[in-house]
Amino acid sequence: MIRLQNIEKVYRTDTIETLALNSISLDVAKGEFLSIMGPSGCGKSTLLNIMGLLDAPSRGSIKIADKATENLNDKQLAQFRNKTLGFIFQSYHLINDLQVLDNVELPLLYRDTTAKERKMLATEALEKVGLANRVKHFPTQLSGGQRQRVAIARAIVGRPDIILADEPTGNLDSAMGNEIMDILINLNRNEGTTIVMVTHDENMAHKTHRLVRLFDGSQVQ
Amino acid sequence: MFKHLFKLIWNKKKQNFLLMTEMLVSFMVFFAVFTLMVYYYDNYKKPMGFKYQDVWVININNAYQTKNTDSLDLYYETLKKTIKALPQVKELSFVSGNTPFAQQINNGGLTFKGKHINGVNNFTAEDSYKDALQVEVLEGRWFNKQDAVTKYRSVIIDADLKEATFGKGQAVGKFLGDYDDKNKMKVVGVIQTIKRNGDYVKPGPGIYYRADTGSFRWLNKILIRVAPGADAAFEGKLYKTMAGYMKNSNIEIEHLSNKLKDTNYFAVIPMIILSIVSCFLIINVALGLFGVLWYNINKRKGEIGLRRAIGATGNSVSSQLVMESMILATLSLIIGSFFAIQFPLLSVFDLQAHIYIAGMLLSILFVYLLVLVCSLYPGRQAAAIYPAVALHEE
Ligand SMILES: Nc1ncnc2c1ncn2[C@@H]1O[C@H](COP(=O)(O)OP(=O)(O)OP(=O)(O)O)[C@@H](O)[C@H]1O
Ligand SMILES: [Mg+2]
Repeated sequence: MIRLQNIEKVYRTDTIETLALNSISLDVAKGEFLSIMGPSGCGKSTLLNIMGLLDAPSRGSIKIADKATENLNDKQLAQFRNKTLGFIFQSYHLINDLQVLDNVELPLLYRDTTAKERKMLATEALEKVGLANRVKHFPTQLSGGQRQRVAIARAIVGRPDIILADEPTGNLDSAMGNEIMDILINLNRNEGTTIVMVTHDENMAHKTHRLVRLFDGSQVQ
Repeated sequence: MFKHLFKLIWNKKKQNFLLMTEMLVSFMVFFAVFTLMVYYYDNYKKPMGFKYQDVWVININNAYQTKNTDSLDLYYETLKKTIKALPQVKELSFVSGNTPFAQQINNGGLTFKGKHINGVNNFTAEDSYKDALQVEVLEGRWFNKQDAVTKYRSVIIDADLKEATFGKGQAVGKFLGDYDDKNKMKVVGVIQTIKRNGDYVKPGPGIYYRADTGSFRWLNKILIRVAPGADAAFEGKLYKTMAGYMKNSNIEIEHLSNKLKDTNYFAVIPMIILSIVSCFLIINVALGLFGVLWYNINKRKGEIGLRRAIGATGNSVSSQLVMESMILATLSLIIGSFFAIQFPLLSVFDLQAHIYIAGMLLSILFVYLLVLVCSLYPGRQAAAIYPAVALHEE
């Protein structure tokens, strides 16, 4: 589903050059639930961003769903992210000025959908994460776990093939984290969604199919 | 998408309130400026109504007075002949004090068929007035000797008064005034309105009465058309002639072309002040808008990054930001237009509705333009942010 070949990422600032990723090659199979672990600053987020086409690698190639992505323009990239990928972030990234339902509808706004379809799909997604009774709330009126569930609903509302989650349980206590984890596991099992998840938590990582460890930008396992 | 942006704006109404107030206030100031500009332009376009070049005004203070009308008559006839005999003088006319470009006004109301017309200028002028000023006669004729013996008092009206009374129809031969029949005034001619307040300010409607022998008691100005090139030496000679003849009077000679300059200058001053104020306002609003939008982009980097991640292109992010400010502008303009439209509806000032409307449209356009210009750059800037960077910085 995702094929990374010799990915290298160099960050250049005025004073220093950071090699954030060093020659990473990785295959993620369709329907696989993969977790990535490693110490802070080892390049996990960088790797996930590159998989999600949010950032371009300095070297190497990425194929997603058998499609080479190097030569896509801004519009094609946006479309690709919209249709094929769903993102979940550690800090949720909800828009605080929009109600829960509007937040979940957001990805559908960048596709051809009617207001009615959007509402239906968003409600359905919220039901899946158990938040059907919170549609009119604003994100600031929700707990951290609830916010992350809204973010998951937003990630799955467009029925993407792949979900990329960057420490989705990082800000939550273990009970909440387990709830989130269960949602992701069910998603992977029932809908066959491919999931790549960055985590610091060994317990979470062990619930996934495969674990990849990074150290200083290189893959060690 | 539109509805979505509307929701976003609505939910952020507290933050947007200040910006909208600023847009609203600037709209009102622009409205004032543009309305004044349109008003000036509207008047500027109209013909002057006469040829002011080479016309001088002689002001007479403390003129010769006597109870005896015949001798007064003779006194002024002689004066007129003396002046007219000067080779540089082409024509002269005794007139009431409200000469073109003079501060003095003499106006009152006029009732016509039950309709009251305010601020009608009353002029008194001699038969020679037409040639002295070279006024443009649009209909009928100027006064002549016949008018001394008519059954009804002859009057001449200007185009503005005609418009207000007879509209597009014919005026000559018709009557004015709501008095008893024998006191009615008969219109014998219509002349082009003389822009007595200069190029920019509306002169208002005018009615002309014929100066008869009794009028000389109080007619204290003479308009003189001189030959082109009449110089200071001639002015001195004219002054001496006048002063010599009217021993007890103060004589002052002015040129209409200079008076026009002064009059225009005074009309333009409020315009200049307003323009300076609005320039500051434009800068203020522009910086404010720019600042807010710029701040927005930085504050909303997370949102921008998220939108990019879920499928927005750089362009759609940038046009979203521009659209948001345009919607805010539209809301402010709707409120502003509601206030602005009261001016013509309640006729707050004596301006025609089309001047207000034009002023309103121009200021709407201007506000939109300003908002567009100020949001384009921040919008483009937002489009250029890498999504990964934007997401990282939250
Ligand atoms: N925009 C950037 N500019 C410069 N350096 C960067 C940038 N983003 C990340 N880096 C550097 O790249 C390296 C990897 O960063 P990354 O965020 O991928 O780490 P991480 O494994 O996700 O860490 P954490 O577990 O703390 O989230 C770090 O050394 C970081 O300083
Ligand atoms: Mg990270």
